[in-house]
Amino acid sequence: MTTLLPILVAVPLLVAALLALGGRWMPNRLDDWVAFGAAAVPVALGAVLVVRVGIRLLTYWFGGWRPRSGSYPLGIAFASDRIGIGLALLVAVLLFASLLYSWRYVEDEHYLYLVLMLAFGGAMCGFALTGDIFNMFVFFELMSVAAFALTAYKVEEPSPLQGAFNFAVSNTIGAFLVLLGISLLYGRTGSLNLAEIGRRLTADGRHDGLAIVAFTLITCGFLVKAAMVPFHFWLADAHATAPAPVCVLFSGVMVELGIYAVARIYWVDFASVLGQFANPTRDVLLGVGTVTAVVGAVMCGMQRHLKRLLAYSTITHAGCFLIGVALLSPDALAGAAVYVVAHAFAKGALFLAGGILLVTKGEIDELLLRGYGRDLRVTAVAWLVGALALASPPFLGTFTAHALIEDAAGAEHYWWVPIVLAFATIGSTSAILRAGARVFLGIGDAEDPLLSDEPRESPTPRERPRIVFMRTIALGLALGGLAVGAITPLAERAMEAAHSFTDTASYLAVVLDHHGAAPVQPEHWHTTTSSVVWSVVTLVGSFVVGYASLYRAHLPRAVSSALASALQPLRAAHSGHVGDYIAWLTFGTAVIGGLFAVTMR
Amino acid sequence: MSILPYLLCAFVFGCGLFGIVTSRNVIHMVVCVSVCQSATYILLLAIGYKNHGTAPVYADIPSSRVVTDPIVQSLTLTDIVVAVAVSAVLLAFALKAYEHHGSLDPAEMTGLKG
Repeated sequence: MTTLLPILVAVPLLVAALLALGGRWMPNRLDDWVAFGAAAVPVALGAVLVVRVGIRLLTYWFGGWRPRSGSYPLGIAFASDRIGIGLALLVAVLLFASLLYSWRYVEDEHYLYLVLMLAFGGAMCGFALTGDIFNMFVFFELMSVAAFALTAYKVEEPSPLQGAFNFAVSNTIGAFLVLLGISLLYGRTGSLNLAEIGRRLTADGRHDGLAIVAFTLITCGFLVKAAMVPFHFWLADAHATAPAPVCVLFSGVMVELGIYAVARIYWVDFASVLGQFANPTRDVLLGVGTVTAVVGAVMCGMQRHLKRLLAYSTITHAGCFLIGVALLSPDALAGAAVYVVAHAFAKGALFLAGGILLVTKGEIDELLLRGYGRDLRVTAVAWLVGALALASPPFLGTFTAHALIEDAAGAEHYWWVPIVLAFATIGSTSAILRAGARVFLGIGDAEDPLLSDEPRESPTPRERPRIVFMRTIALGLALGGLAVGAITPLAERAMEAAHSFTDTASYLAVVLDHHGAAPVQPEHWHTTTSSVVWSVVTLVGSFVVGYASLYRAHLPRAVSSALASALQPLRAAHSGHVGDYIAWLTFGTAVIGGLFAVTMR
Repeated sequence: MSILPYLLCAFVFGCGLFGIVTSRNVIHMVVCVSVCQSATYILLLAIGYKNHGTAPVYADIPSSRVVTDPIVQSLTLTDIVVAVAVSAVLLAFALKAYEHHGSLDPAEMTGLKG
């Protein structure tokens, strides 16, 4: 079964290479079918692996370079547990849905789009499955380069170029931070295998400047990909300009993989050597996640470009994912894992619904589209269901995720975490509901003093828009997102997976000494009253705030101008100038590194 | 082993960052990204360096000779390959942006903000 791991990654990458070579001469529409086939393979393999893997950790050593127990691992390994394989499966499912949606999306050189999508998907699967830190860096760069090119796919327009350029420079500098951290770790441990690095760091036991600097560099580098404040600026630009099906992958999994990498490397490599500093680590990461969730929610309320609005909503939720990881508790990590799945489906549905608006109405601006979506009933339902799934309604959507994180936070005496989650959810979901009400129902003021101005986006040409087909995919994803919260076994399996994910000793023993994984107690999940109360609060709050914000033009002029000027500095920080973004990146890395340096002594 | 290469790495990386932040020309900015990348080469090679070590090619040296670490050198090569891909994509963006704006100044790309 372990040989399925490399096949899962190799098939999309190989087919991408073959399509790049031969796509030009392929007969009509064959390239689409080849891509569907290549994307279906990882879906099938990922599903088989997720069902069969249990709580085991699968290892595959390339070329048979399996180390003898206790000896130095020369080879490169894939080491994948339920969380890694689950992420790869999520990548594959979203890739397949996006390819179906973008059937006949672009007229010219369509096969190049398929090549980029398959390479992007394959690289993300590899990133989720690998157990080697340099391998991780290479997959990171591969998925980044494919993502840059996909962002600028509509190269004949100016905005996608700017978005892609900002995205590319920010993420490349992030990747360099990761590489510098990897170099330092290699200098200390002489290994690139995650498990061997962990073992040697633990044996070495020094938590000096080098360990802290390496931890800072790797964490900050991956947090650039995870779009944490103040590294998040590229995300809104990239999402506003990339084609809608590409945004599904960006928001659904690419951002989350940054957080996955931080979690994986923390638990395998640093959890024991920096173990006595768990409290400062938790506080710093919680702070970053909280600031991100709040800033994203506030910015979300000020957007009229629908994809940019959804992008800020992704930033908000990414902040919540980091809160789940940062609590450093298995149950909160399980909450983050379930959250990622529910969010990926719901946000994917919303982006696809936005794409349908762009294709049918030639516009993606909330105010310009006011009332024009009345005839798109199924799309409107998909939009509403997607927004509901994100609003954490009782026993649906992100509910189990929120409940797990809130309960874990309560156990650690972080009483304010539920308030942050509720604020973030209400802020972002109310904006999504507001935009949906204006576009699909035509209610609300025609003007809004708080919304920013955006450039127009031209729709992607199509032979014949297959709206029925496209809206079915959007609705399916939205319902999937809503269902995630209703499946209690999913939360329980995630709790087991998170317990073995955080068990460093077991990971090292399985990869390096070929032991079996440590047994995990079956988990049972119970709803607590407080999580139901918070869930009702966020749901009602989202609708009330969303409805009220339709009528912001009715605010007295003094109030609205005071609000606008209070929000002006935040808006001005999102300048669209990549030089500013890199200055913020440097500043953020210095602050996080400084906080680690001060607290870890 | 002296501390000089590490200081040099930090200095070069800082120069690249400063260049990116203050750049008024997109192509200049792409070169600054490459400067940052050079800092990673310096760090990798410094970590693999051994005093009085020679190149790790065993064909014509006694196997008792001290050699530098070949792994970091291959990592550097991989890194260079990655850099080529990233620079190519960035330069393609710069070229297309010039066709649109008639300018290479990133401050004049003002489509996205807020």
